[in-house]
Amino acid sequence: MRSRWCCGAAEATPASKILGMIPAISIEHLRKAYGDLVAVDDLSVEIERGEFFGLLGPNGAGKTTTINAIVGLVKPTRGRITVLGHDAVRDYRQVHQLIGIAPQETILDGQFLNVREILVYQAGYFGIPPRQARLRADELLERFGLWERRFAKEQELSGGQKRRLVLAKALIHDPEILILDEPTAGADVEMRLHLWEMLRDLHAQGKTILLTTHYLEEAERLCQRVGILHRGRLISLGTPEQLVRERGKAHLEDVFLELIRSERA
Amino acid sequence: MIGFLTLLQREVVRFLKDAINTIAPPTVSIVLFLLIFGVGLGPRLGDVHGVPYIQFMTPGLLLLAIARNAFLNPAYSLFQSRWFGNIADFLVSPLAVEQIALAILLGGVARGMFVGALVFLACWLLTGVSAAQPVWALGYAVAVAVAFAGLGCIVGLWTRGWEGVGAIDTFVLDPLVMLGGVFYSLEMVRGVPVIEPLTALNPVTYITEGFRSAVLGGAGAPVLIGLLLTLALGAIGVGVVMLLFRVGYHLKA
Repeated sequence: MRSRWCCGAAEATPASKILGMIPAISIEHLRKAYGDLVAVDDLSVEIERGEFFGLLGPNGAGKTTTINAIVGLVKPTRGRITVLGHDAVRDYRQVHQLIGIAPQETILDGQFLNVREILVYQAGYFGIPPRQARLRADELLERFGLWERRFAKEQELSGGQKRRLVLAKALIHDPEILILDEPTAGADVEMRLHLWEMLRDLHAQGKTILLTTHYLEEAERLCQRVGILHRGRLISLGTPEQLVRERGKAHLEDVFLELIRSERA
Repeated sequence: MIGFLTLLQREVVRFLKDAINTIAPPTVSIVLFLLIFGVGLGPRLGDVHGVPYIQFMTPGLLLLAIARNAFLNPAYSLFQSRWFGNIADFLVSPLAVEQIALAILLGGVARGMFVGALVFLACWLLTGVSAAQPVWALGYAVAVAVAFAGLGCIVGLWTRGWEGVGAIDTFVLDPLVMLGGVFYSLEMVRGVPVIEPLTALNPVTYITEGFRSAVLGGAGAPVLIGLLLTLALGAIGVGVVMLLFRVGYHLKA
C-alpha cells in the first residue's frame, strides 16, 4: 500500500504554508514520463526558505529528474514548479538567477579552461562583470582550499577537489537556493565530513539547501526534513526524527528500508 | 549582455587556444591548394574570365575557408558541450536560450572570419590579389559565415556521435563546396557530363560566383544574386537554430 504522508499533517507541513509565505521551491503534481517509463509520478512538495531538505531514494527513484526539472534541464510532462514564486518554465531566467546547482557528475568545462577560469567564466554567464568575477572566483578558491590548484586543469584534480570545485561553481553568483545532487558520492570519509561542514556553514548563512542522497546518515545529520521517493512517487515526508519516532525505529535507514520493502511487496 | 559576451568569448577562446587543431589545418590545406593549383598548374591554364587562374581561384578558396570553419566551430563546440555535459553551465544560467544560440553561432562566424583573414593574407602574399569591392566582399563573407555557422549549430544539436559532424563535413559540405565553383566557373564546365548539372543545381555555385565578383570586381548581378541567396539561407538557418534552442531539441530531456 502506498502511503504518501506518513506523519502528522501539521508537523509535516512546512511553516511557509502555515504562515502564507512564498516557499523557496514549490512542486505541484510533477510528472515526467519517457514513453512508458514514468520517472516522476504526481510529485507534490514544498521546500521553505532557509530549509535544509533532503530528497532520498534508491537509484532510479526520480531524484535527479526532479531537480533537473526545477532548473529546466528536464521538461515536465505535467505539473508546475515555482521557485520563490517564479514559474520554472516561463520565468526560467529569474529562477536560474536564484539557484546554484551542483550536479552529480563532476563534468566541468575543463577541456581548455583551468580551475580559476572555469569559475570566472561561470560568473560571467550569471552577468557578473569581469573584475568582480575574478574577485569572487579567488574568494571561493580560497574558501574551498583550491587556491594552490587554481591554474590546474580539471583532469589534474583529485576527486575531492573536483567536488569542491563543483560546489564553488554552484555558489559563484551567491544564489539563495543551493541544489546538490549526491554531493558526497564517491568521497572518502574525511572528505565527506569536510563537505558536510561546508554545507552546514552555507545553511547557517541562510541558504536554502535541497540535496539528493542515498546516504541515509547524511540526510539524518544534515536535513531538517526529508522526502523519500520510490519509483517516482513520494512515499514519505517529514523530519528525520518524526519518521524514526513514528515507525518506532532507531535510525532513518531502518525507516527507509521498511518503506521501500513495503512498497515493493 | 555580460553573460552573452562571456559565452561568445568562451567560443572564441576555445578555438584560439586549440589553434593547432582548429586554425592551422584548414589554413595549411588551403595554402597548399593555392600553391598546387594556383602557383603550380595555374600558369598552364592561362587566363580565366580575363584574370590569371590563381587570382580566379583565390575568392573560391577564401569562401571555402570561411564556410568550412564557420560550420565546424559551432558543430563541434555544441556537440562537445552536449557530450561532456557542460552545456548545463549555460542552460542553468540566466542567459536566454536565444542568447546561448546566438553566442555559439557568432563563435562560428568569428572562426570563419579569422581563418578567412589568414587565408586572404596568404593569398595576398602569393598572388597580390586584393578586394576590388572591399565593403561588398566583407559583408558577403560575413553573410556566408552566418549561413554556414547556422548549419553547424543545427548539426551540433542533431548529431548523437562525434562521427555525425565528420560525416556531414565529408559527405555534404565538401561536395557542395568543391562542386560549387571554387576551382572553376559554371561557364568552364558547360557540356561536361555530371559536373555541369551538379554544379548548376548547387546553390553554393551562385554564392561562390557572387563572392568572386565582389572580390575581383566583376559584374554586379552575380553579387546581388549570390548575396541574396546567402542571406536567405542564413535567415532560414538562424531561424531553425533559434527554434531548436527554444524547444530544447537534444538539450533538455
